[in-house]
Order: sequence, then structure tokens, then C-alpha cells
Amino acid sequence: MSSILKVSGLHAGYGAGDILKGVDVELAAGSILTIIGPNGSGKSTLAKTLAGLLPARAGTVELEGRPLDQLSAPKRVLAGISYVPQEYNVFRNLTVLENLKIAREFMGANGHGRRGFDERLEELFPELPMHYRIAAGNLSGGQRQMLAFACALTARPRLLILDEPSAGLSPILTREVFERVERVNRTGVSILMIEQNAIEALRISHRCIVLSGGRVRACASAQEVLEMKDLNSLYLGDASNRI
Amino acid sequence: MLQTAFNGVVTGVIMALPALAVTLLFGVLKFPNFAVGAMMTVAAYLAFALNAQLGWPLAAAAVAAALAMGALCVGIDHLTFRPLRERGAITLMVASLGLGFILENVARFAYGNSARSFAIELARPFRVADVRMNYEQMITIAVSSAAMIAMYVLLTRLPMGRAMRAVADNPSLALVRGIESPRVIRWTWFLAGILLALGGVLIGMDRALEPPMGSNYLISVFAAAIFGGLGSPLGAFVGALVIGLVSELSTLVMAPNYRIGVPLVAIAVILVFRPQGLFGQPYIRK
Repeated sequence: MSSILKVSGLHAGYGAGDILKGVDVELAAGSILTIIGPNGSGKSTLAKTLAGLLPARAGTVELEGRPLDQLSAPKRVLAGISYVPQEYNVFRNLTVLENLKIAREFMGANGHGRRGFDERLEELFPELPMHYRIAAGNLSGGQRQMLAFACALTARPRLLILDEPSAGLSPILTREVFERVERVNRTGVSILMIEQNAIEALRISHRCIVLSGGRVRACASAQEVLEMKDLNSLYLGDASNRI
Repeated sequence: MLQTAFNGVVTGVIMALPALAVTLLFGVLKFPNFAVGAMMTVAAYLAFALNAQLGWPLAAAAVAAALAMGALCVGIDHLTFRPLRERGAITLMVASLGLGFILENVARFAYGNSARSFAIELARPFRVADVRMNYEQMITIAVSSAAMIAMYVLLTRLPMGRAMRAVADNPSLALVRGIESPRVIRWTWFLAGILLALGGVLIGMDRALEPPMGSNYLISVFAAAIFGGLGSPLGAFVGALVIGLVSELSTLVMAPNYRIGVPLVAIAVILVFRPQGLFGQPYIRK
């Protein structure tokens, strides 16, 4: 299977030091790749760098063979990357409908085949039309996450980056979120997902990368990682010895 | 009492336009622009040049001055604020103080310190329900209300207005939603320039044109924006009306000289009891 995303030797960070210290990632087209690792390992920094919110200090990022290094965050959206941040992932003072309109107006989503796509989106998120007039900040955590998904998908991305989509959600909502992620993936969208909730995330993933101290410690199929007896060791930095 | 309240409403609607400009700029750029007073002054003198010196009708002069001020604000941002954008709100605020000083003195250099007025025909005041009104006050209320309605439509119905509110709400999310912030910032300055120019012309009609005409309103305008909730367009309008009304009504119970204290008290009261203002959102550190 061809790769949709290829990251090589990526360095990025805030201030003087690097948080990512030469990260390599390859994501097969149409698959789900989950990135796990302890707090501070650089997972969210990786997501922000791929989305263009943080400049890469070294290394390359390619989407379907096209280098993204010189592209701003809005240009990366047009290139086919949609990013859903962990927190503050909707415009809280705007209504649900306004959030969706902004996604449609600015994410390059207007155009041919729009109607059929809207119907698919309503099928995926049937609860959203009920809340169109409500300020997004007044939605529950789960509803906000669904709205953020819907906005990201409005761009019809080729790669969806999700930063801890289950953060702060109840177990029932977490399962629902992962179910939607799986359904979105079945529509052909490749997904790079950062998660702390490793077991649930790995159940729907194809591959897994363990990030620790800003470096890739292990890369394996999700099934292999799930079969490990001691998943906690992944977070302790000795993963490379176990997979 | 009724007459004083009416005067307060007129003062309020005049302040609503610059208060909206302050709140738009603060929402998108996250700094208090203290040059708004001087920007109003410069725009009023631009309209004066077209009206009194070149003989244009005041309406045409005001429209031309508004468009020119909008473009000038975009240019000022490019030269002054954009290079300092990454240095934080305090640096930008100090730069705006310096810019205000320069702009006000450019107007002083060009037209001197004496008061001037637009070339408009004086009309006899009329009375409605025992309240004395004049033609200029009616124009002021109509222009300000029309500008506020236009801004409401723009901010809620048009893509660029929604983008401005989105950038004000969450700048980094706006980037990953495909919104190019530089374009939004240019539009924000252009609209703020138009609002400030209209505000400057209305002040010139209500009082007279003189170099400190805009900065005299600065505290009241900021009080209106803070009282209504910085970043909230509706708040700016309501805040301006409240500050205008209370300032005028205060003259019924205390000497008019102390009227300037009312906006300061309003700022203190709102910051103690509702720091986000009447319609503002609580600040969340991200």
C-alpha cells in the first residue's frame, strides 16, 4: 500500500530546545496510525508541526509525495490535511452552524459534489442539525468533539489528524468517538491519531508508533502492540526492547 | 431630565462607532489601540478638507474620508503594528500611544489649534415632546444606527465577518480551519478605519474640529468597550449608550466638570463585579 504521509528526521519545539528530535513517521493510505507515549513525549507537538502551527526546525514532511515544509497552516488545509486539536477545537462563541459554515467557506470545500457529501456528513453526525443555533461553547464535551470532527471532514481531507479525541470523555462517549473515527476511516480518509487511551485506540488502528522523549521508540502493527502483556512498558521507554 | 437623557443617547451613539472599532481591533489583534482618538481626529480633518476647503457635500466628504481612513489604517498596521505583532500586547499598546501622539500632531501641524467646523447650513432646532433636537443630532443617530446594523450584518452573515469573529475567538484554530489571518487583519483595520472616520465626522458635527477632539473621547470610548465586554460588538453599542446616558444624567446631581469621572467609575465597577463586561466572554488562558 502506498504511503500518504512521510515524515523524515523531524525536529521541532518551543524556545531553545527541541521537543521532537528526529521523528520518522510513515502512514499507509487509507489506514489509521495511532501514536502513543507518555506525557511530554512530543505527541501533540508532532500533530501541531504536521498541521503547520509549529515550524519544523529540520526534517521533511510529505503528503502524497508533495513536500509541505513551506506551506502555512491554511495552505496545508487546502493540500488535504485536517487537524482536530485536543482542546478548544471549536469556535465557542460561534453557533454550531457558523462553525460548519466557516469550515465550508475557508477549507476549500465548496464545489462539485457538495450535496452528496453534505448528506454523508449528516449521516455521520445526525445529532448536529438539532443544535445548529446553539453556541458551540454550550455543547457537551462529546457534542463538541463531534462538531470538531464534522468541521474537519467538511474539507474532504485526505489525512485527518486527531489529537486525543477521547480526552475528557466518559467511557461510553469514548467508544462512540472511536466508532465514528472508524466510520470516517472507512470512507477512505487516512487518520493519524494521538491517544492516551491506548487500548481503545489500538483496537481500531492498523499501526502504532510509540513516542518517548521526542523520539520514535517503536513502530509496529496495532495488533502486535495489543497482544503485549505489559502495555505500560511502552510508556516507560523500553518499548523498543519489547516489540 | 428628558432633554438630558436625549443628549446622553446622542453622545452614546457617537461613541458607539469608535467603541465598536476598539472592540473589533481588540478582538482580532488582542491589544488596546490607544491611537483610535487621533485616528478619528485625522479622519475628521480629511472630511473637513474635502467639505470646507474643496466644497464637497459633507455626506460625500465623510464617505471619501471613511474609505481613505480605512486604507490608511491598513497602511499604518503594515508599517507600525505588523513588525511588532510577535512582541505581545504591551509593546503594541505602547506603539499605539506613540502613534496617537504623532497623528494628533500631524493634524495640529496642518490645521493649527483653533477650532473649526464643517461647512454645513445651520438649521433651527425643533421640539418633540418638549425635547429640543436638531438636524445634526438626527443625522448622528441615523448614521450611527445604520453603521451598527451594517456591522451586525457583516459580522453574522458574511464569510469575512464570520472569519473575523473566528480569529477573535481562537486564532490558532482559525489557521487550521483555513482562515488566512493576515487577510482578516487587513479587513479588520479597514472596517475599524471606516468606523473611526464616521465617529470623527459625527464628533466634528456635534462639537467642533480641533486636534484633541478624538482623544477627549478616548476614556469614554474605552469605558464603553470595556463595560460592554471587549471583543463583543453588541457590548460596544450597549456600553456606549449606557456610558453616554449615565454621563449626561450625572450632571443632574453633580457639577458637569465631574462628568469625566463617570466612565472611570464604570470601568472600576464592571472590572470588580463582571470583569468580562456585560456581553463579553470570560477570559480563558490557553
